[in-house]
Amino acid sequence: MGTLDSLMLGFSVALQPDVLWYAFLGCLVGTVVGVLPGIGPLSGISILLPATFGLDATKAVVMLAGIYYGSQYGGSTTSILMRIPGEAASVMTCIDGYAMAQKGRAGAALCIAAVGSWIAGTFGVVVLTLIAPPLAAFALRFGPPEYTALLVVGLIFLAYMSSTSLPRTLLMASFGLMLGTIGIDNMTGHFRYSFDIAELGDGIGIVPVAVGLFGLGEILATPSASVIGKVIAPKLRELFPSREEWRQSAMPIARGSLLGFLIGLTPGSAHIISSFLSYAVERRVSRHPQEFGHGAVAGVAGPESANNAASTGAFVPMLALGLPTGPITAVLMAALMVHGVSPGPGLVNEHPNVFWGFVASMYVGNVMLLLLNLPLVGVFVNVLRIPYVYLYPLVIMFCVIGVYEVNNSIVDVWIMLIMGVVGYFLRKFGLDPAPLVLGLVISPIFEMSLRQSLIMSNGNYLIFLQRPIALVLMSLGALLLALAAWSFVRARKDWRTQLAEAEAGD
Amino acid sequence: MTLRTDHIAGGVFIAFGTVVLAISGDLPTGTLSFPGAGMMPKLIAVLMMLFGLLLILRAHGSKPLATLRWDDLPHAIRVLAISAAAIALYQTLGFIVTMVLLLFALIVGAERRHPLHAALYSLGVVLATYALFTYVLKTPLDQGLFGF
Repeated sequence: MGTLDSLMLGFSVALQPDVLWYAFLGCLVGTVVGVLPGIGPLSGISILLPATFGLDATKAVVMLAGIYYGSQYGGSTTSILMRIPGEAASVMTCIDGYAMAQKGRAGAALCIAAVGSWIAGTFGVVVLTLIAPPLAAFALRFGPPEYTALLVVGLIFLAYMSSTSLPRTLLMASFGLMLGTIGIDNMTGHFRYSFDIAELGDGIGIVPVAVGLFGLGEILATPSASVIGKVIAPKLRELFPSREEWRQSAMPIARGSLLGFLIGLTPGSAHIISSFLSYAVERRVSRHPQEFGHGAVAGVAGPESANNAASTGAFVPMLALGLPTGPITAVLMAALMVHGVSPGPGLVNEHPNVFWGFVASMYVGNVMLLLLNLPLVGVFVNVLRIPYVYLYPLVIMFCVIGVYEVNNSIVDVWIMLIMGVVGYFLRKFGLDPAPLVLGLVISPIFEMSLRQSLIMSNGNYLIFLQRPIALVLMSLGALLLALAAWSFVRARKDWRTQLAEAEAGD
Repeated sequence: MTLRTDHIAGGVFIAFGTVVLAISGDLPTGTLSFPGAGMMPKLIAVLMMLFGLLLILRAHGSKPLATLRWDDLPHAIRVLAISAAAIALYQTLGFIVTMVLLLFALIVGAERRHPLHAALYSLGVVLATYALFTYVLKTPLDQGLFGF
C-alpha cells in the first residue's frame, strides 16, 4: 500500500465522529494547559492518561498527542497577553509578543503565532508522513547492537543539544539512568534497590516521575502570591495582521518550521531549544535586529513556528524507531503500551489503523487548533482569570488521581510526591529535569540491548563495529564527541554561549 | 572561597553515588564481557559521581549559595505536608472524602481563604470530577471505607 492510500486509510479512521471528538478534546485541553502557567504539556498528558483507559489505542493517542501540540498553540496566548510563558517553549514569544501587545497589536501577534503554528504543524506532519514509514522499514533491520549504538548516539546528542550546560545534562541523564535500574533485572531475575517493596520490583514508572518533576515540582516552586492575573483581552476584529506584518512573518515561519522539525528529531527538550534557536537565527538574519525586544514580528513568528514543528518532529523517532526523544514522547509511548501497542518499526505494519489514524488526526488537529485559537482567544483568556489559589489545588488533585489510576498503586503516588520535592530542588539549583526522565526511559532498553549484544558476540565489544548500521551510528557518536572535544581544546564558545550572546544582541 | 549552588548540587550527587555503591554490594557485577545485575548500576553511580565532581570543579559560573531565595519554601512545605496527608488517607477514605479535605486544607490552610467559599468550591469540584470519571470516562475512582 502506497503512502497516499495509507494516508486515506488514516483519514477514514481520523474522520470518524468519535475519533474527531477525542482529537477536539485533546486540542481543547492542550490549549488550556498551554494557556495556564504552571501546568505544562507533560503534566497535562500524564494526568489525563487514566482517562484514556476506557478508550482504544487510536483514540487514546490521538487525544494525548492533541494535548501536546495543542499546548504549543496555547502557550503563546499568556506569553503575548501577560508576558508569562504558559509553558517553557513560549519563553521567547514573551519578549516581542508582549511588546507587540503593548503597542496595541496583541491581536495581530496572536494571529501570527496561531497561523505560524498551523503552517509549521502541518509542514511537520507532511514530512512525518513521508519519512516515518521508510525509516520504520529500515529500522526493521535493527538488532540489539544497532539499538545500543542508536541509544549511545542519542545520549551524546542529548548532551550536545541540551538547554543547560554539558555536565548538568549528563549528571541529570545519569541520575535518570540510575533510577531506571531499579526493579527486577530482566536477564538474571535479581531484585535491585527494591527494599522489599513489591511495587518497586517493576521499576519506577515514568508517569509518577514525570508528574512529580513537572507537575507537583512546578507548583511547589510557584508561590501563589507571585501569580498575578492582569489580562489584556483582544477583540475579534483586532486579530488580523496588516499586509506588512504578514510579509514580515512569512520567511521566519518558513525558517522556523524547517529548523524546528530538524531539532525535533534529536533527543532533548527539542520544542524549547528550537524556539530559542529560531529567535537567535531571526535576530541574526534580520535587517533590523534593533527591533527585536521591541515588538519584532519575526520574534513571534519564528519561535512559535519552530516549537510546533519540533513537537511534530519528535513523533518521528517515537513512531518509527520506538525511541522517545523527550519526556513527553516517553509518556505517549507508555500510553500506547498500556493499550497493548508497542511503538517501533513494527507499528506501521502491525497496527496501520493506529499509525495512520494518528498521523491523519494531526492534520485535522492542526486545523481544529487554528479554528479554536483565533476566534475563541477571548474565552481562553478568561481561564486566566481563575485565581491561582483555587487552580493549583485542583492540579494537585489531578496529579494524585492521574498517577494512582495508572497502576492503582499508592506507592506510585508517594514516588510522585518525592519527585515533586526533587523537582523543586532541581529548579532551585538550575538543573533541568528533562534529561532525567529521558535517562529513566532509556535505561532498561539500553541495558537490555547492550547485554543481548554481548551475548550475541560472546562478550566481544567489536560487534558494534562489525555490523554496518551500528558502525555508522558509532562513527556519528564519535564525530559528535570529537566536535565537543575540539571546541573544548580550542576554548571555543559552544552553541549555548553563542546563543546567549545572540539573544543578548552582542 | 564562596560556596556556590553547583558545589552543593555536585556534592549531593557524589554522596548519592556513594550510597548507591555502598548498597550494591550483594549484586553480582559479572565481567565487562558478561555484565551481571550490578554492573550497570555501579557504572552509572561512578559516572554520576564523576559528573558531580565536574560540576564542583566548574562551579565558579554558578550562583553563590547565599543569593538563592528561599521565601517560597514555607508555602512549599505547607503544600507538601497537606498533600502527603491526603496520600496517606487516600485508600482509607476514598476519593471523595480525601479530595474534599485536600482542596479545603490547601485553600484555607495554605492560602488563608474564606472557609465557606473553600468548602463549596472543594465539594463542587470533587463531585463534578467524580461524576466525570465514573459516568463519562468510565474510570471508577477509589471508594475507601465509606463505599463512595
